[in-house]
Amino acid sequence: MAASNPYLPDLATVIEIIDETPNIKSFKVLLNDREKMGSFTFEPGQVAQLSVFGVGESTFVINSPPTRKEYLQLSVMKAGEVTGAIHELAAGDQVGLRAPLGNWFPYEQMKGKKILFIGGGIGLAPLRTLILFMLDNRADYGPISIIYGARSYPDLCYKADLEDWSKRGDVNLILTVDAGSPGAPIREGFVPAVLADVAPKPDDTIAITCGPPIMIKYVLENLAKLGFTDEQIVTTLEARMKCGIGLCGRCNIGGSYICKDGPVFSLAQLKALRFEM
Amino acid sequence: MQDVKSETLRIVGFLCNWCSYGGADTAGVSRFRQPTDLRIIRVPCSGRVDPLFVARALLSGADGVLVSGCHPRDCHYSDGNFYARRRLEMLKRFLPFLGIDSRRFHYTWVSASEGQRWQQTVTQFTKQIHELGPASKEAENAAAVALSATPAAAGGGAALTVPSKEQVEALKKAVIDALSKVDVVVGWKQGFDPLHVEPCFIEKPEQAGQLVFSPLCEQSLAPYLTRLKGKKVGIIVKGCDSRTVVQLLQEGLIARDSVYVIGVPCTGTVSVKKAAAAVGGEKVVSVSFEGDAVKVTTASGEKRIPLADILRDKCEPCRYPAPLVHDVLVGEPAKAPAGEGPSGYDDIAAIEAMPLAERRAYWERELGRCIRCYGCRNACPLCVCEESCIAETRDPHWMTQEVTPAEKKMFHLVHAIHTAGRCTECGECERACPMGIPLMKLKKKINKDMLDLFNYVAGTDPDEKPPLYTFKVDEERIEEHKLA
Amino acid sequence: MRKAAYIPKEGWKDFVAALAGRAEVYAPCRDGDAVTFRKIGAGQEPCLDEPAAGAPKGVIYPQSHTLFTFDFRKDPAEPDKMEVELNASTEAPEAIILCGRPCDARGFAVIDRVFLGIDPYYTARREQTTLITLTCNGPYAGCFCTSVGGGPADETGSDVLLTDLSHGYYVEALTEKGAKVLENAALKDGAPYEKEAQEKRAAATQAIRPVFSPGARPAEAPDAYWEEVSQKCLGCGACTYLCPTCYCFNITDEQSVGAAGRRIRSWDSCMFAHFTKEASGHNPRAQKSKRLQNRVAHKFIHYPEKYGEPACTGCGRCIRLCPVSMEISGIVATLTAAGT
Repeated sequence: MAASNPYLPDLATVIEIIDETPNIKSFKVLLNDREKMGSFTFEPGQVAQLSVFGVGESTFVINSPPTRKEYLQLSVMKAGEVTGAIHELAAGDQVGLRAPLGNWFPYEQMKGKKILFIGGGIGLAPLRTLILFMLDNRADYGPISIIYGARSYPDLCYKADLEDWSKRGDVNLILTVDAGSPGAPIREGFVPAVLADVAPKPDDTIAITCGPPIMIKYVLENLAKLGFTDEQIVTTLEARMKCGIGLCGRCNIGGSYICKDGPVFSLAQLKALRFEM
Repeated sequence: MQDVKSETLRIVGFLCNWCSYGGADTAGVSRFRQPTDLRIIRVPCSGRVDPLFVARALLSGADGVLVSGCHPRDCHYSDGNFYARRRLEMLKRFLPFLGIDSRRFHYTWVSASEGQRWQQTVTQFTKQIHELGPASKEAENAAAVALSATPAAAGGGAALTVPSKEQVEALKKAVIDALSKVDVVVGWKQGFDPLHVEPCFIEKPEQAGQLVFSPLCEQSLAPYLTRLKGKKVGIIVKGCDSRTVVQLLQEGLIARDSVYVIGVPCTGTVSVKKAAAAVGGEKVVSVSFEGDAVKVTTASGEKRIPLADILRDKCEPCRYPAPLVHDVLVGEPAKAPAGEGPSGYDDIAAIEAMPLAERRAYWERELGRCIRCYGCRNACPLCVCEESCIAETRDPHWMTQEVTPAEKKMFHLVHAIHTAGRCTECGECERACPMGIPLMKLKKKINKDMLDLFNYVAGTDPDEKPPLYTFKVDEERIEEHKLA
Repeated sequence: MRKAAYIPKEGWKDFVAALAGRAEVYAPCRDGDAVTFRKIGAGQEPCLDEPAAGAPKGVIYPQSHTLFTFDFRKDPAEPDKMEVELNASTEAPEAIILCGRPCDARGFAVIDRVFLGIDPYYTARREQTTLITLTCNGPYAGCFCTSVGGGPADETGSDVLLTDLSHGYYVEALTEKGAKVLENAALKDGAPYEKEAQEKRAAATQAIRPVFSPGARPAEAPDAYWEEVSQKCLGCGACTYLCPTCYCFNITDEQSVGAAGRRIRSWDSCMFAHFTKEASGHNPRAQKSKRLQNRVAHKFIHYPEKYGEPACTGCGRCIRLCPVSMEISGIVATLTAAGT
């Protein structure tokens, strides 16, 4: 990103598009400036502003991990004007990228601990970067569990990764769907309910969750019931964003800007924000 | 020097699919020759043509716009062109008010078999546009104008009387009484300084004590009616405010049984802005009405301002001092001013008398101050689109977020045209404008034309329909425009 | 060493003309029925009949401007391939803001803390602009500058301070930039008028009694309070656009003629209903009461927590020009009193 002008995106090219679900696509992009791409660094959890020139810009987590930099991957759910235009892109198209922005998962504090990922739908995207990062640094972390669900089987993201993780011996993957499909061997149940069923112990565990607001609400309730403290729970938020650098004044919760002071927050930090919540 | 005649200008044509587009096809198939400046946009019906399409085209740099549909009585959809005729006639008269030459816009009727008529229309209209020259010429002419003094509104004369203590007490009683019938009563209370009043929302009898009623109560409370949906609302209205209530009833934006109208006859209000300006905007310490003047005290001393000097512009020619609708009337019914009185549209006539370039320069100066704060829009009782307002939407994308003269004019054209035939001249748009833009003039111009064309006054009869939402097969006052 | 100068009333016109000769001068000007900050025309003098409707914020932070343009180009060798070229310009013309008030200058200091050094467009314009500020001789309607750490003769953000002594102007250069702009201006010595100017400034400061104490933070209030106090609000953006300190903005892509376009930045308002509305339809600040609460909290709690000063200079415009007289000073006074 041009350091002198934080509004000016770097030009990038879409190199591959993967249809994850009926309304979610993953885009692999490479900065046109190969030298810049080579020296590009970021932390797991940081985001990028992806531009479709003539339409606009939107924020997406870089869901490929910093340990695998052959490309940068962003996953986009079609929801509005910009995401609609992004879904019309083809390989070879030019886009703009302003990255990395925001803060990242405090993985240093997670070393040696048990990690519990709880994701729903496209909420797996920010979790994916940390999961892969941790798997690439496996020895640094304790047991890793992933509870992930979506509305139905077609709505599960990253099916290739889910396949990999289910085969690994060092990851406990629990998949669920709200509504099962006949023949598909996946348990049925909402993510918060599955969490309650699995009833993980809070000892020495960090829970990282991301998904639709309603899922987060009940996940937080159930984590509390299971004895998790606010400091043990980490989430990543989203909001309508424009500048991405904490200036335009719209993505704030209290005095914190989700684009700059987030998007990663612990529940303890969120509760401490005054005059909003 | 470039030969203007040979330069291709940009003329946009909106043609209805059935007749006019067919007519253009017929002209083509018959190999009639015609200039190629005109670019066609096909629409299903001339009734589909929003006057704002024409405005947008002109403000985006089109040198001319032509609209053509089926002949009246021959509309493929029966009555689409009847609506078009009314709306486009309104636009034809409105554009020159802003300083856009009305000859740059023409609407006509061409049937599918009239290939020759199409060829003639295009040839003549293109010639007319070439004679006028590129649209940029008008901008240059306007920029060169040294504006004469702003036409002053008709001054003095109205006998503004200050409501008595008894009347104010009677009003408070009426409000307390109303509370047994409604969830909330909207009235006025003392504002942040002695010169200002502000809206108050009374839910309990003890709150009625804060009510005020004085010539400072210029704000219409009617805009709150559509924002208190689901509640039964009592509202205090002056004569002009009651027209808004009638209009909202006419359009079905409020239900009669959800509103309890407390009418107060009014002899005029003062413009708080004018009063504040009379004391140089200084902090006001006290205000007292004394006879035909108001005494305003600031740190610089006392200033006696004749009420006639700060009477609100719209009050002087007021024809509706008594509420047209009310459930209870507090005060003696006010008599409408006797005699001829000043016409409400003198200021409009004054602008119409200016040369075209001066009109354009006038509006460029006035609208140049606009900061697109949307105070006018949000204060307007008829504006209920809220987040869907096309001034800000990306889909449809009517205007950019820039504050160029064209985009600002476009916004104000949208507001004026969307309220065409509906605006009751409550004046809230102009009162709300922090930059002192005479926004009422835009709406009054259209209202003047509604009166001329259809003998129609908005907000007087809840059973009427806004004129641009209806039609007559034969329009007495709309004549077909001929090209030179 | 601060040098005091003096411009007699008869010399004012020439002084203004001399400034206009060296840079774009923006001053309050009579404009139809209003007084607004505009580029001063040849031979024109600032209009000081009443306070200017808007702040001169737009001189340094324009209401809308292009961040960069983008041009699409097809590669003639490979017609399927489309290239994009981006062009940004952070050039800024030399400008002077003449006869802004101390609350206006202080407003820039508020925005500086957030934008300076980070936003190249703002930074360039800020550096190229000199502020010649006119002190106030008393409060205007709605003024409360002394409640937020400012005052009618406050120096923050200004390069030159002028005080109207009715027979002339007392002039003080506060910064090097200010001294430079006064170079070559035919100014008389101001020393004989220093006392008069100080007395005038002190009297004005005395006349603007604080309605709450600077540094006091408003207490939290229940939803019911915010609902009541925001009920009359129309949800327009007048307060934010007229404010010397408000800086929220929008970024949109607009199409130019041909295969080209521009990304523009334009003022936006946290008071607009859809300011925080997300593509999903979810809106964290859907209610007016929440938006008002956020605005007050940003100006008087969150910004001061980060930077030590409120994001408000007490100019009073949002009060006297609000169509329904929303009174932010009253709200803060109520909530700071409640907290004590």
